[in-house]
Amino acid sequence: MTQFNFGKWFGTRAISILVALIFCFLLDKFMQGADKSYGRFLMSLAGIYVTLAVSLNLINGITGQFSIGHAAFYQIGAYTGAVLAANKFSALAASKPLLWLLLSALFGAIAAGLAGLVVGIPSLRLKGDYLAVVTLGIGEIVTIIAKNQKSLGEAYGLSTAKIESIFLISLLAITCIAVCRNLLKSAHGLAFLAVREDEVASAAMGVNLTRIKVTAFVIGSAFAGAAGALYAHTKAFVSPPDFSMDVSFLILTMVVLGGTGSITGTTIAAVVLFLIPEKMRDLPYVQMGTPLGVAIGIIVAVVLLRKIQESFHGAGSVRLARNIGSVGSGAVVAFIMAKLLVMVPAFQGQINGALFRMPVLAITLVVLMLLRPQGIFGHHEFSWSWVQKLLGKKAPETEVAV
Amino acid sequence: MSDLISLNLAGLDFTTLPQQLVNGFLLGAIYALVALGYTMVYGVLKLINFAHGEVFMLGSYGAMFASWMLGFGPGGAAVAGSWVTLLLMLLMAMLVSGVSGFIIERFAYRPIRNHPRIASLITAIGLSLLLQYGGQAFLLEGKKQAITSKVNPFADDFVFTPKKADASLIEQAAKIQPEVDAAQRAFDEQMKNEKSKFELSPEGDRLNKVLATAIAKRDDLKNQADTSSVTIRLPKGKLIMLATTIMLMIGLWYLVMKTRMGRAMRAVSVDFNASSLMGINLNTVITFTFILGSVLAGAGAMMYSTFQSAPIDPFSGTAPGVKAFVAAVLGGIGNIPGAVVGALLMGVAENLVTWAGYSSYRDAIAFVILIAVLLFKPGGLLGSNKVEKV
Amino acid sequence: MKIGGSNLNILALAAIIGGALVGCGDSAASGPNTPGGTSAPAGGSEAPTTGARKAPSAEGFKVEGDTIKIAVVTSISGDNKPWGTDQLDGCKLAVDEFNKAGGLNGKKVEIVEGDTASKPDQAKLAAEKVLGQGVIGIVGEVSSGNTIQIAKSAFDKGVPVVAVGATKTDLTDEGSHVFRVCYTDAFQGPAMAHFAFEKLNKKKVAILTDNALPYSQGLSDSFRAEFKKLAGDDSIVADEKYESGSKQGTDYQGVLTNIAKANPEALFLSGYFTEVGPIAKQARAAGIKAVFLGGDGWDSDTILAGAGDAILGGFFANHYNNLDPSPEVQGFLGRWKAVHGGNEPSTTMGALGYDAMAVTLDALKRSKSLDSKSLMAALEDTSDYKGVSGSITLKGMNGNPPKKLIVVEVVPKTGNNWQKYATSYTPDQIK
Repeated sequence: MTQFNFGKWFGTRAISILVALIFCFLLDKFMQGADKSYGRFLMSLAGIYVTLAVSLNLINGITGQFSIGHAAFYQIGAYTGAVLAANKFSALAASKPLLWLLLSALFGAIAAGLAGLVVGIPSLRLKGDYLAVVTLGIGEIVTIIAKNQKSLGEAYGLSTAKIESIFLISLLAITCIAVCRNLLKSAHGLAFLAVREDEVASAAMGVNLTRIKVTAFVIGSAFAGAAGALYAHTKAFVSPPDFSMDVSFLILTMVVLGGTGSITGTTIAAVVLFLIPEKMRDLPYVQMGTPLGVAIGIIVAVVLLRKIQESFHGAGSVRLARNIGSVGSGAVVAFIMAKLLVMVPAFQGQINGALFRMPVLAITLVVLMLLRPQGIFGHHEFSWSWVQKLLGKKAPETEVAV
Repeated sequence: MSDLISLNLAGLDFTTLPQQLVNGFLLGAIYALVALGYTMVYGVLKLINFAHGEVFMLGSYGAMFASWMLGFGPGGAAVAGSWVTLLLMLLMAMLVSGVSGFIIERFAYRPIRNHPRIASLITAIGLSLLLQYGGQAFLLEGKKQAITSKVNPFADDFVFTPKKADASLIEQAAKIQPEVDAAQRAFDEQMKNEKSKFELSPEGDRLNKVLATAIAKRDDLKNQADTSSVTIRLPKGKLIMLATTIMLMIGLWYLVMKTRMGRAMRAVSVDFNASSLMGINLNTVITFTFILGSVLAGAGAMMYSTFQSAPIDPFSGTAPGVKAFVAAVLGGIGNIPGAVVGALLMGVAENLVTWAGYSSYRDAIAFVILIAVLLFKPGGLLGSNKVEKV
Repeated sequence: MKIGGSNLNILALAAIIGGALVGCGDSAASGPNTPGGTSAPAGGSEAPTTGARKAPSAEGFKVEGDTIKIAVVTSISGDNKPWGTDQLDGCKLAVDEFNKAGGLNGKKVEIVEGDTASKPDQAKLAAEKVLGQGVIGIVGEVSSGNTIQIAKSAFDKGVPVVAVGATKTDLTDEGSHVFRVCYTDAFQGPAMAHFAFEKLNKKKVAILTDNALPYSQGLSDSFRAEFKKLAGDDSIVADEKYESGSKQGTDYQGVLTNIAKANPEALFLSGYFTEVGPIAKQARAAGIKAVFLGGDGWDSDTILAGAGDAILGGFFANHYNNLDPSPEVQGFLGRWKAVHGGNEPSTTMGALGYDAMAVTLDALKRSKSLDSKSLMAALEDTSDYKGVSGSITLKGMNGNPPKKLIVVEVVPKTGNNWQKYATSYTPDQIK
């Protein structure tokens, strides 16, 4: 046991916070300018998705409470921010936009956190899929209420002040990551993990299940609410379809694809899953046969890769070679099939490649899950020792695998 | 929410209550067919098959293609359907759904069966997205379709009238009829000089108003008579739907309770690993369950799109899918009678909400009921609330 | 204690995200710089409905090189695909004709497509994407909920938007850069109310609204208000809601039982044809004898497949009629059929999409220089443009052209035709 050194403790923290602030500030400065507005918008949304995914990860991945209605809290935060900025605080929003944005995020977080408290309490009694369907229901109820209120713009939506700030969005994302990560490093955090692994055993060990679950719900929901408020001001408009079931599913997918419980994985998956469809807007017109051919190629590659995974137990380098071979043969098949299929008159029609955004996202999900069911990162986290190990050095200390 | 709070009990019309209960029961029967698929798959695999709604969607396409092949397509020559048409469509829908269920299980779920369930869940979501958006690109360009109502020879209703209308009112209405006829004759005479019904000369307009007033007077009396009566309409198409549902459920009950395969299914649902040690071929049982659930979804899809004229497009499976999923959970997921009970309850609850005058909150209140039920019975209505042993 | 490591890890993680995000900050915009970033608050929702609209302060984009980029942002996929693809085809037809006729001083127009997937969040992304490519104008969308997203983004850039089928009345209050080529709900709903009250002599109506659609809610609101004005407060005997899309499926028995009990003389169905078809059929089965009325959302012959004979004799508001013998309509149909294998457009959005693009191109010809600002001024100057869907005047109209509306009756289908002209309304007749 080393002596607790307050100076060092305080110092590292202060430096970390300072560095984070400077980082966010520089990011914000870098993204200024009218010619970067598309990139700025993408970055804002990616930051919001990171916050949403990491906060759901706390509920779903770390505490093991199966929630599929995260968009409800996102929506509560967004509408709170939008309504307040359009009515009570419109003067403040116009005169001090950044200050208001900060307050808006705070209000959003409080509103969504309270909602999380209300949902967290029934979660004590419900397990697994029953909890899932309740959270799904909460999501639907919130949307339906919004659709029926004249004051909330009904199905159309609500206009609000436009305030863009990469600074606050990235700061929120980093704060969310930091809170979740630091929580895991504490004794409290171990209790969250214990609840995920075995509720009965952890209760027997003196973990207060109620408190842990409710804490997870409230923190997760509050971050989603803050993200919602920032989203409302980034878009200057909120409407019910922005918070549909599909959005909840997308966030859940980010969590699982990154590796349930892994903050690193969730963060990366959030950015990647958001950007894949967006980047596909650049695809040109293609003949109908081409995407079909590519699909056949992907199937071939996946089947081969699965075979290797299941039955090959040889040396790593041979395995790598075989894997590359599989992907290569998939590509060859895709090429040949695409060329053959476009000779068929039925598959010669031109189609906008950008329309394959959603199918490609779907195929990515299925293929990744088939080849790596534990998610990209599994339960692992990014750490310096991991990097050092990767570089061939001996790790100075072992991390707790989360 | 203000309109929710001002609940007006006096405004409730109890004469329509029997009809609304019947509506709810018939709606619940369709939910039940789809919910059975969810619950059976869950029973053996503990997996929520989110792609089930898409299997349903493919089933309705199957039914539609069958109707096209029988001459009910765009420009088709057939005039009226019969039992045989409907049966062929049903078989086609069940075949298409069954095959797609088999393919989905074999290639998307089986490879990752031994991994955490959440991985299969994401695969299911991915497949569901793939079928929806892929369908939009390749299935008839994703255009909205509908099965023509000509295939259904049973479009009329059985009408019951437990409480007859006030006879004196009907008599009074009949007395006004000559007045209406006279006005109609006068107007028809005038119409010969008019260009169009909607651009009348002042005289035509006057006669039209006279006619409208007479009709309104007569209809007002008729309506008063209607309001004093209680009628229940049972659409024949829906009764066929209900009968088919009941027959399929009896078949299912026999299959699950009385056959070897059914016993194997029940064994697997109790203990996955132990049943495999007892010599049950897990792959066969799971494949069979998937096909069975999908076939039922296909049957539901055919009846839904034929008797309800539901539009068919790649997204049309979502709505019944979500409702059926909720119904299955409400009844206690994995429990076959539970799915039926949950579905019927959902159907009735939705119609009661509408009856009370809150049609805009129909789904919200259905979910509120669900949450309330789960709070008191966390394992669903018929599900067992097992205490976990260490 | 192990503190330093953990905090540094967070920072490293942040750096990774930051790096990944910076990587996507590319852009091909060519316009002059405008102040952006963490300022420029836009007004709230209480913009005045009349009088001058607020003008975007940004400069917009200039045409560089030999191609004039105009974006078409619409629902090429998703729920509204039938309308969106028709709009896109209409726009393409207009641009092809423009380019074949020599373009503008040798410069050709190029369409930049943006797919909104029928969702507001995707509409926003699509709008930001095309604006990043330096388009000088945007044509789209078919629905108001998606158009408002495009309008918000375009305001910040100073790029004009010509909406196609967005009938939400207050949409054009967003700024002086928003125009449309269709009429508004504030005209369509009251016109149908007048038609029901004056031409059909109906005194008691029921309204069935699709609560998932802003279009349906807006149309029902304006119809309800006007009909109450005409026939008295208790003339609305039933006012029910349903939701299209992913939640309710197609069982309308509950609401229809309520409506049947109220015995209306007319039933106003303000939703889209996809739901109106089954509703009409189930309504007749539930014993409703009322005449069905609706808006331009009915306009697709798919309604006949779903409704069968039940919908015959119903009336709805439409923008134009394919049987109209005028040279604009018949010429357009002839050119459309030549490209699409003899088929007529399946929804009105084909003609409206064509008109929206044609109005934009017409303004482009009159525009003083090839940039967004001049294009916007030229659009605002449009006067009596002879479009397929009637004459379009934007001058001094706050973006809402006073257009003629026709009421058509649904009749049994013969050949391609299933609509019979009943009467027509101009905005003056309603106000």
